[in-house]
Amino acid sequence: MPILDWFKFTNRSVYSLAFAIQRITGIILLFYLCLHLIFLTSLTDRTGETYESLIAVTVSKQFLLFDILLVLCGVSHGINGLRVIVHEFGFVYEYRKVVIGFAFFLVIVAWLYASYVMYCLVGG
Amino acid sequence: MVEFRIRRFNGDETYWESFEVPTRRGMTVLEGLYYIKENIDSSLTFRASCRMGICGSCAVKINGRPKLACETQIASVGNKIILEPLDNFTVLKDLVTEFEGFFAKHKAVKPYLIRSDVSYEEPKELIQTPSELRNYYIFTLCIKCGACYSVCPAAATRDDCLGPAAMMAAYRFCADSRDRGEDARISIASKDLAVWRCHLAMECSEVCPKKAEPAKAIQLLRRKTAVNAIKSILRW
Repeated sequence: MPILDWFKFTNRSVYSLAFAIQRITGIILLFYLCLHLIFLTSLTDRTGETYESLIAVTVSKQFLLFDILLVLCGVSHGINGLRVIVHEFGFVYEYRKVVIGFAFFLVIVAWLYASYVMYCLVGG
Repeated sequence: MVEFRIRRFNGDETYWESFEVPTRRGMTVLEGLYYIKENIDSSLTFRASCRMGICGSCAVKINGRPKLACETQIASVGNKIILEPLDNFTVLKDLVTEFEGFFAKHKAVKPYLIRSDVSYEEPKELIQTPSELRNYYIFTLCIKCGACYSVCPAAATRDDCLGPAAMMAAYRFCADSRDRGEDARISIASKDLAVWRCHLAMECSEVCPKKAEPAKAIQLLRRKTAVNAIKSILRW
């Protein structure tokens, strides 16, 4: 199936890995967006009980791991996307190795910081 | 002895076959293929011509990566060499793939100087400064081996995608100060299966045996195309 070539990164460079990550995180974020919209439909219940009950389940220590992974998807998709936009306009192409290294570094730093904040917020 | 494991195709089925090849220092993968053809199995089919990395005929997948067989020394690969035809091309036989479509795409971008003042009766010199030459020189190094096209994720999903080599050729002539055919090429490059189809995986530049940077050319062509589109909207 040709579309599986999008996720082929063995014997390929770090750029293909970044490309595959961009696609995978994009699909995960789309899936999350659908869930998020379903979640928000609970607001149609004017009493707010449905929303509060869902919040009680999702904003918890048990859900923290999923939230942390979701943030990793969002941060990597966003920062890697910015890297792609910069190159797509023909800028800093010669420094692409440095740029991709810096982008991955930013992903790790932003992800760790966001994870720490979320951990503190759920009372860790 | 080195094992050559080759993915073969006889027109009906694909199968793997292994050959033991005696090697010597400095021997290339292409020489190994010639040894097999001349001494073990004359039906083995592969494409080769110049044997010195100029014609681009012998590009195959060597241990998973597209490379020129004539420029790859066996010692640099290891004791087991896995050879496959290039991806994203139709396999005709063994390691030989169909290149007609690839060359047709190259031809479609008008890869030649376009000028209205050409006169064969009174030819005139087209002067160019070294800095003008540097604007496009690296993109002239393409040998049309197809390595870039074989790793392009856009070409993997759509056969009619223009591909990196053709788009690099388009930019090479657009960036040439002697050329006057930019508008014609931009209209070809601005189609959805050309520059806007590129996903910027940048693998084409990584596998290019001549380090010709097709991914850079595509992005520069994309910028040119975008500027051209904005200008046409503003009627500037």
